[in-house]
Amino acid sequence: MKRRGLVTLLVLLVSASLLVAGCGQGSGTKATGGASDSKAKELPLGVEVIKIGVQGVLSGSHADYGRQIQMGATLAAEEINGAGGILGSKIELKVMDDELNANVAQKNARYLVSDWGANFIVGTDSSGVALSLGPILKELDTIQIFTHAATEKLTEDLVYKQGIKQIFRTAVPVYQDAIMAAYVFKDMPEVKRFAALNADYEYGHTSWRMFKETLSKFRNDVEFVAEANAPFWTADFTPHLSKLMAAKPDVIFATPWGGEAVMMLRQAVSMGVFEQIDAWWQAMGGSVDVLEGLATDVKRDAFKGKLWGTGRYLHNWPDTPENKAFVKAFQQRWNRYPNYSAETTYSAIYMLKAAIEKSRSIKTGDVIKALEGLKIMTPAGERYIRPEDHQAVYNVPAGRVIFSSDYPIPIVGGDLKIVPADEYYRKPPFN
Amino acid sequence: MEKTIGEIRMENRNRVVARWLLGLLLLVLFILPWTLGTYVTWTASNILILALYAAGFNILFGYSGLLSFGQAGFYAIGAYVCAKILLGTSFLLLGFLGGVLAAGLAALIIGFLCTRHTQIYFAMLTLSFGMMIHSIIWKWRDVTGGDDGLVNVPRAPLAIPGLFSIDVSSVESYYYVVLVIVALGIFLLWRMVNSPLGLALQGIRDSEQRVAFSGLSIQKFRLIAFAISGMYAGMAGSLMVPLLKSADPGMAHWTASAEPLMATLLGGIYNFAGPMVGAFILYVAKELIARYTEYWSMVLGFTVVVLVLGFRGGVVSVLQGLLFRRTGTVSKRGVDA
Repeated sequence: MKRRGLVTLLVLLVSASLLVAGCGQGSGTKATGGASDSKAKELPLGVEVIKIGVQGVLSGSHADYGRQIQMGATLAAEEINGAGGILGSKIELKVMDDELNANVAQKNARYLVSDWGANFIVGTDSSGVALSLGPILKELDTIQIFTHAATEKLTEDLVYKQGIKQIFRTAVPVYQDAIMAAYVFKDMPEVKRFAALNADYEYGHTSWRMFKETLSKFRNDVEFVAEANAPFWTADFTPHLSKLMAAKPDVIFATPWGGEAVMMLRQAVSMGVFEQIDAWWQAMGGSVDVLEGLATDVKRDAFKGKLWGTGRYLHNWPDTPENKAFVKAFQQRWNRYPNYSAETTYSAIYMLKAAIEKSRSIKTGDVIKALEGLKIMTPAGERYIRPEDHQAVYNVPAGRVIFSSDYPIPIVGGDLKIVPADEYYRKPPFN
Repeated sequence: MEKTIGEIRMENRNRVVARWLLGLLLLVLFILPWTLGTYVTWTASNILILALYAAGFNILFGYSGLLSFGQAGFYAIGAYVCAKILLGTSFLLLGFLGGVLAAGLAALIIGFLCTRHTQIYFAMLTLSFGMMIHSIIWKWRDVTGGDDGLVNVPRAPLAIPGLFSIDVSSVESYYYVVLVIVALGIFLLWRMVNSPLGLALQGIRDSEQRVAFSGLSIQKFRLIAFAISGMYAGMAGSLMVPLLKSADPGMAHWTASAEPLMATLLGGIYNFAGPMVGAFILYVAKELIARYTEYWSMVLGFTVVVLVLGFRGGVVSVLQGLLFRRTGTVSKRGVDA
């Protein structure tokens, strides 16, 4: 009797320790095994493998943005490894789903760094998630290059004001959706009345506030006549549109993005909105998933050429060999056009490569120094990393959404307006 | 009915085994940060907090028979109040205290309105109140930071001014804070469910009318259970904030209310240890699955279905059947041994 109890206890103990070992799994499989140590020592960086953790949203309705992050990172790593790696060390990636959830993203970051042994992290779609990761990156002393999250607080507050140097960003922040729009409409004196269809969260509200502030500096004849706020997951935008149209605006400034933007624009067309307004500003309207979704509508000129958009990168701009090569390689590898989160992540990996080669080190402190002030040619054009706030400065134009015979999907390509990023980005000390 | 000697022996043996197991668990938990590294320590802190959350939830669910979909609301209130306090002052304990009291107060008010109903009506009411809390957090941007949440919350020192101050800024040292508070919380809960209060709640669950006939106020007891459960959710929320160094509105969303529910269902609802064991299984299973596949949600869903169908009455009930013999069904061999 007693013996049987003991046996059960033993079985339980063993299974418990197996589980615990499962948790700790990975700690024993660091980058370099014993046999290859001597080989690793001959390499300038002292490691055979540079580990880069990748995270983004891979589940739910916004999963395509995370997939694009994954595709961009994978393409860059394959290219670099194919050409001999970084100073002889190969890149290894591990992609994780952050579910747009701060807790999960922190868990991923901790797992990637503490357990899997990541030297760097790239990715992250959500602004809220990015902000919550900031202090953790400091704690882990690991660089993350953010490639989609757009809140200006990430670089202005966390890097510049609070000094979390481990944060970098390759994507344009909310400046693009807000300040760039003001540059477009400052030169259209015929439009005076502006109404906003805001995404009802920080991103939407901040964009509208910055837009109003900037446009008011350029012009004193504009009016901001109406505002409607659509929460995340809005499916029916018609009541919001009715509210705005009652104020007879010349321009609608809209920030819901992704699949929501497609639905919203379709509903606007069916309500006849485009017969009554002069222009519709669609923040991130140059996103590939939006352009794919609107292809038939653009083809039959449902928007009457009044749809304006921008992105954090446009696959049809700039007309450089780097961009052409990237788009071609991306299409060959994935059979799709690269969205901005793919390009920003692809470029982030190349930035890390440049910084590691410059400092000949993978230590966080050395790579931070090498990244600060770095100028690098990327598919989106030359990027300059501002040392003060670690924000990549590069140009992305805005323009009309049109159909071009060169591409199977619509592009942001009509009346392209190019403003030097240095002119419209907010600058330190960010007052 | 008189107990036979065999039954008494069996009870004693079960008690001894249970004590050994508990001691062993505490020992493992105590030495864990020294041996298994920061990541496992961080994971263990998460599991401990989820265990406390689920155990508190089960006061309402298992012991009182009321399924709430609004627990995440109280969790978030605890988290946000704690975050606000820690961003303003730097007293960890004050943050916890504030979080628990605020969540308890909110639970009293909302519970007063919800506990008049049971079953689906109760579930729907708690769902709406929970989402109301979520909306307030989402919209009240000046105070809560909107969808960006509150970030860079310090892991303030554990201090009482004039008495002592302990630095708990590292994950390892904060783990011990979590461990002690969770252990205390669970001990208190154990005392509660084994008190007349626990008996009354189970009585109401099993036969409302009988308890009413014996002169107890059904609604008062339900409200007490609701408030306790809310306070435990608030405690879990406020413990989580210094660990994450942030609070976000996702904490209040109704889908987050499913976490303690899943843990409880997995572990077993009619068992004190059920929700805690369930919390461990849920967290570790997800952790391991997410490591090997991007399609973790599919695999996890499948695993949960298998566990729930395969372990009727929860994992703990089945394990208990294996480890402890029931005193009522003592075998002959057991008496002779």
